[in-house]
Parts: sequence; C-alpha cells; structure tokens
Amino acid sequence: MTLIGTSVARPDARDKVTGAARYPADLVRPGMAHAKAIFAHRTHARIVRIDSTRARALPGVLAVLTAADVPYNRYGLISSDQEVLCSERVRYVGDRVALVVATNADVAAAGAALVEIEYEDLPAVTDPLAALLPGAPLVHPDLATNLLLHQPIRKGDVERGFAEADVILEGTFTTSWQEHAYLQPDAAVAYYEGDTLVVETAGQWLHEDRRQLAAIVGVSEDALIVRYAKIGGAFGGREDLSVQTLAALATWKLKRPTVLVWNREEAIVGHHKRHPFHITTRWGAKRDGTIIAVETRSVADGGAYASTSIEVLKCAAIFAHGPYRVPNVATDAYVTYTNNVPSGAFRGFGTPQAHWAAESMITRIANALEIDPIDIRRKNLYREGDTEATRSVLPPGVSALPVLERCAAEARARFEPRPPADSSSTKRRGLGIASGIKNVGYSFGYPDQSTATVELIGSARIERAVVRIGVADVGQGVSLILRQIVAEKLELPLRSVAIVHEDSAQAPNGGSASASRLTFMAGRAVHAAAAAAQANFNARTGTSATVQFRPKPTTAIDRITGEGDPNYCYGYVAQAVEVEVDITTGLTQVLRIISVHDVGRAINRQQVEGQIEGCLAQAVGYALTENFVSREGAILTPHFSTYLLPTTLDMPTEIYPIIMELADPQGPYGARGMSEMPLVPFAPAVAAAIYDATGAWVNDLPMTPERILDAIDAARERLTTAAAAAVP
Amino acid sequence: MIIRVTVNGTEFVRDVEPRTLLAYFLREHCGLTGTHVGCDSSSCGVCVVAIDGDRAVKSCTMFAVQADGHEITTVEGLAQGAALHPLQQAFWDCHGLQCGYCTPGMLMASYVLLKHHPNPSEPEIREALAGNLCRCTGYQNIITSVQQAAAEMSPQPVEA
Repeated sequence: MTLIGTSVARPDARDKVTGAARYPADLVRPGMAHAKAIFAHRTHARIVRIDSTRARALPGVLAVLTAADVPYNRYGLISSDQEVLCSERVRYVGDRVALVVATNADVAAAGAALVEIEYEDLPAVTDPLAALLPGAPLVHPDLATNLLLHQPIRKGDVERGFAEADVILEGTFTTSWQEHAYLQPDAAVAYYEGDTLVVETAGQWLHEDRRQLAAIVGVSEDALIVRYAKIGGAFGGREDLSVQTLAALATWKLKRPTVLVWNREEAIVGHHKRHPFHITTRWGAKRDGTIIAVETRSVADGGAYASTSIEVLKCAAIFAHGPYRVPNVATDAYVTYTNNVPSGAFRGFGTPQAHWAAESMITRIANALEIDPIDIRRKNLYREGDTEATRSVLPPGVSALPVLERCAAEARARFEPRPPADSSSTKRRGLGIASGIKNVGYSFGYPDQSTATVELIGSARIERAVVRIGVADVGQGVSLILRQIVAEKLELPLRSVAIVHEDSAQAPNGGSASASRLTFMAGRAVHAAAAAAQANFNARTGTSATVQFRPKPTTAIDRITGEGDPNYCYGYVAQAVEVEVDITTGLTQVLRIISVHDVGRAINRQQVEGQIEGCLAQAVGYALTENFVSREGAILTPHFSTYLLPTTLDMPTEIYPIIMELADPQGPYGARGMSEMPLVPFAPAVAAAIYDATGAWVNDLPMTPERILDAIDAARERLTTAAAAAVP
Repeated sequence: MIIRVTVNGTEFVRDVEPRTLLAYFLREHCGLTGTHVGCDSSSCGVCVVAIDGDRAVKSCTMFAVQADGHEITTVEGLAQGAALHPLQQAFWDCHGLQCGYCTPGMLMASYVLLKHHPNPSEPEIREALAGNLCRCTGYQNIITSVQQAAAEMSPQPVEA
C-alpha cells in the first residue's frame, strides 16, 4: 500500500468549491427564531437593573432571557467561572447580559435596542502587572486575588550559574493579544429532535462542548447532541464556547428552533485571544557560547475568565529558555485575571510568547560573543536523553539538532551569496534564524485519550470500513488523514473507507482538535481500532471494534519546583527568514521563509505543506501586522479594517516548507503533530533579520513600523553617544 | 421595492427592502448560501460575486437594488452541471483551500481576473486577490491554483 505519504486530494473540497458546503450560518431554516445577544460594553460594572418591558412589548419578540433563565449559569473548559448571561457583574466589554429572541433577525436587533440596562461602574484593572499589586480591584471578588496561577520552575542554581558566566544579558519583552480571525464568524442553530436538544455549530471538541452545554441547560449528556457543520477555521479560537450556549438556552427555554449568528465585531469582542505576555529574562553564557543560566519572570494577562490560561502559562514556563539544555533555570510565570478580553488557546499555546524572549536572547548572546547564531544553537539545542527544566528526560525522538542543520543547509543553498547592500536605497535586507519546540498533545498529567470505532463490512473478505470518531475537521483535513490511516491498515482503497466524525451521538470521543494532537492521537486510535476489528473479522456477522488510545502518561508539575514529566511528545522546528526594512518608514516585508519541520511521517504531504504555509501567514501577522489594541478594556480593533491580517501582498513569494521524517516512536506510522510549529519561533527569526538589516532590536510584538523606526532611532542614538564618548 | 436580478442565469423577481445588501439577497431571497459573509466591512472578500460577468464586487457592500437589471454570477454558477469550472478543479487539485470559507470569494475574484487577464503573472494574481483574506492557506496554493486554471483555460496552440 502507498496511501501513507500520498497527497490524496481533499474529498470535502468539491462541496467547498461549488458553494454546496454548509457552514453554521447556512443552516437557517424558515420558522426559526433569531436571537441577539446584548453585550455589556462595560469594562467592569455591577448590573443594577435590567428592564425588558419595552422590548417584550415589541411585536415579534418572543422572549428576553437573562441570568435568571439559565438553569446552571456557569461554564468553562477548565474552571467554570464564566456565566452564560451575567447575573450581578460584568467583567469585560464582551460579557453577555441578555438575549433577545424574536421571529426574525431584524426584530431581535430592534428588541435588543429596547432593553434597558442600568450599570454601576466599578474600578477596573486592565494592566496585568497592576492586577498583582495589593489593593488592585478584584475581577472575581470571591477568589480574593487576581492571581490565576504562579508557576515557578527551579533547576540547578542560577546564582552559581551567573557567577560562572562570561557574559550576562538581560532583556524585557512584551507581546500583545492575537485574534484568531477564523473567517467564519461564530454561529449556531439549536433545535429539538424528539426529546433531544441538538446544537449544530462549529467547534473543536464535540464531546467537551456537549458536557458544558448539557450542564448549562440541566439535561443529561445523552439528551443533547452537538453536531458540527462545516467549520470555517478555528486555530484554538473555538475551544471556548460562545454562541452555542445562547442558542441552546433559547431553544431549551422556548422549545423552538433558534439561530444565533454573530457579526465580525461580535465575534472579535465575544471570544478569547492569545495571551499578552510581559517577560523579563536574564541569560548567562560561557565564552564558548554554552548557556549556563536563565532566569525569567513572565506575567500573562488572562483577562476576565480563566479559559485555558493555567495550561497556557505552564507551557510558556517550561519553554522560558527555549529548546535548550540549560543546567541552571529559575522561572517564575504568573497569569492574572484582568478586566480585559479573556485570553486562551491559540495555535502555539504560550510557546510563541516564550520563544519571543528566548530566541531573541540567544541570538543577542551569540552577537555579544561574536559567535554565529547557528553555532550557538548547535551547541545548546536539546539532544536525545537530555533533561528538561522540569527535571524529566525529554520524550524520545529529539530532533532539534537535525532540524536546525537542515535549516542551515537550506539557508546556505537559497540565501547565499548575499547581494551587496545598495547604500543609495532606503531599504536594508537582513537574515534571521530561530529554533523552536512545542508539545504535541495534552500535558501536565491530563489523561489524554482518543477513542475510535471501526466497523467492517464484507462477504468473504473485508470490503468496506466505517470509522467512527468524534473529531473536528476545522479545515486542517483530519477526516481524510484518518481515512488514509485506516485504508492503509486494512489494505482497502480510500473510497471504501467512510468516516463519521461530526456528531457526538454517532461517534465516540476522539478528543480535541488542539495541541497538534489529532494526527497523532486520533491516528493511533483509528489504527488500533482497525487492527482490532481486522483481527476479529467475521464476514457473517460483521465486525466492530472500539479502542481507546492513551499515550505515555504525563504528570503534573510541582507547584513550587516545577518538577514533573509534562509531555509525551514534542515537535521541533527551525526557520530562516529574509526581510527588507525601509529605514525611513519602518515598513518591513518578509521576502523569503524557510520553515523546517520534523513531522515524523507526513501522512499527506500536500496537507502538511498547507499547514506550514497557512500557519506562516498567521506568524507573519503575529510578527508584523496584527496589532490588537485594547485601551482601558475597550477593544479598538473590532474589525478587519483596523485589525490587519496578512494579505497576498504581505506574504513572501518564496516560502519553502521543508518536511523531515524522523519517525516518532509513538506516532501512527511515525507521524507527530506539526500544525502549530511554524508559529513558535517565527517572530524572533524576523526580529533577528530586522536586527541584521538595521542594527536595531525590537522588543515588542507586533513589530509595527512605528516600533521598528523607534528601535532604529534608539540604536542610532546609542551609536552616536558611544562615538561621542570615544572622542578624547 | 421590486427588483429583477438574474442570478446564475435564473431571473429572481423579489420585493426587497431598500437597505437589503446584495449578499443577504443572494443568501436569503435566492437561497444561495455559497456566497459567505465574513466581516461586514468590505475587508475580507468572502462575499465576492461577479456582476455582468466582468466585474468583481463585494456583495456585502452593495445594495440588492443596485443589482436591479443586472446579471450576477455566484460560486454556484461556475460549474456546468457536474463539470467543474477549471478554477474549481484547480483549487481542488492544488489544495487551494482548507476550511473553504474564503473559497467562493477567491474563486469569483479569480474568475473576473481571468476574464480580463487570461494569463496573469504572479504579481497580477496577488494584486487581484489582495482584497480577499484567507486565514488557512497562506495564499501560496491559491496563487498556484489560479495559475493552473489559467493554463488550463488558455487556448491550446494549433499544430501546423
């Protein structure tokens, strides 16, 4: 069989190119009620009074729902600290306070305008550093603190390490929010099939959505079905529930089908973002470039609700020193509640922020020691058998070094010789390189699992197979990948393998479409279920096998020392970029990207390359263009006219996705997850290239033209001052 | 007010409110949900349709009444029966889509581009699609798809 590694074209593409594909907002049917959510648009306030009399009097308004109508008014992926409709207090501008349900969308909007809500503004805290100070306003007063988590990590003795260092550098770095900007705005329809409440929507984890939604409306999980329509992108942004809670509530309450479609502004204000981080870090190295001590303090803005903050923070903490073997590490990572938009999962999950500081620092150390930035990485990158800062041995299959070597070779072949600089132009070119590491799958003792059923049909031999596994095809193409794996295992043509994956009642829990985990985890589950069914195949009765796959168990990390065994698999990446900076405007264009990935085994090469290229576009946005602005809790960039995603003209014309296949010992056919990796070290690679071009380091993300110009000016001033000081 | 719009060859006579946007007219009055809505601010391009076969417009920033008397082509009008348009086939073959939400707009903007420039250069394709956002693919395969479709559609050289 040759299905593994073959670029089979996407079977779902036909419906997507003809317009037949149905996304959630396409599921509106005549007779459905339309819901409109009323947002708080207050940073922090007490709800004094809600008067819906006038709204309810409007012809066509069916109901105005408030907190009192919600059977269990709590939800959240990890902590249930968010209310479906706020009862007493709103904690950020995107909190929902009431839901107007009407016979059509226009009436629902008109009704929403008639609901009178009186607030009493409360002191707000929108700066995560201020949130940690004594006396700061409390976002959740019942918790008596804004601190969501402080995660220390201690290894070796940093003071001794710094005492032995020949060079010590310190840096302060910031990152901002990033908006997922999946192009399909949040939408859901809900209706009853008999006694079963069905919520049809887009999400990332059918069975987790079902757990939270069933709790909210107070029914058993068996009495609620979550179905995914075609999903218009996710990137972590659909891990937290949004419109689903409201559509389910309205339908449960009114016992009639309801639709809720958010516009772009509602979608941007209403769901979580990537965490902003404030990072101060000190690195010590020997003259030969060996890193011997790294001390880091990072503070992340978790926003108004917990979401996945504590897990994001821990991921950022264990990679505070990047993908390097450092004997002495002291990390203190904090995440706080604030009255800002909540922060949560987004492709990379804390690791792009950690690498922003770490990869910038190691290049600065290299420059200070006049060592090549590739050589210093070569010297310090993790090797097989190395110990992490958590004092556990890295999962087998450590490929950081071969990935870097391949990147270096590709950069030599493609970027050299460098053309001579044209001093008459205002444009300067520069090269940058960076390495990265990120976990595949869930971490820190979470009992990660994926369950699949494979049914076999045939008379004398196996003729067809049906795979059942609840997984979200958010656009990444997992449904095809899983079919390829099963077809390969059963030696069937692909067309003879069907998959049922979009209905929580028709397929077992395959786990979340997150942490780059589905090819790895769901791949192992369907492979094992296919093998089990094959072994027991009985042509007369038909055969079905259900298997739960669990990877090597991980453990929680200690709350004081960070000691533990956090992950079962890592992905490794190295990138080289060329940029061109206009030193009079700060405008920066990425010209060329080499992105090297050890994917273990590319099940479908075309799709792996697509993941790399698409993730790089988000990385270009993160590095340069996507400037999410929030002032005192108010979101100033709630549209694509102000929040700028990279376009065809912002992306380089030369992108080289390089796939290495160094088999992972646990992955299906050796595959390991890869879909987040291009975002992990990209921004610092661009920063290094800007430094190479201009002599200026930018410390803050995104690297807007203004920040780049400021950095160039500051670098110039330092040179002038140094020159003046040198004059006798 | 009553408008008469030909969509994919079928005439729709409908009574619409003057404020109805063309995108919602197509989706709600004509039942053609292949034209998507993504931003409401003319920034993302998932709602692009062709007017009179030769002009690409963002249908979320045009009123339905402005289309009165015109011919609209949406993504549903590209294929001839079961035979996909070369652009559709190319987006499929070249993996020019992932989630697919931007695809109808990309196809229609490319369709109009190829009407005017049957053999566009890569910079011309990038320029023509600069108003169409994609959050999944990084655009590389979209550009390749348009190039492949252009090659497919250009007249074959006649042998002497």
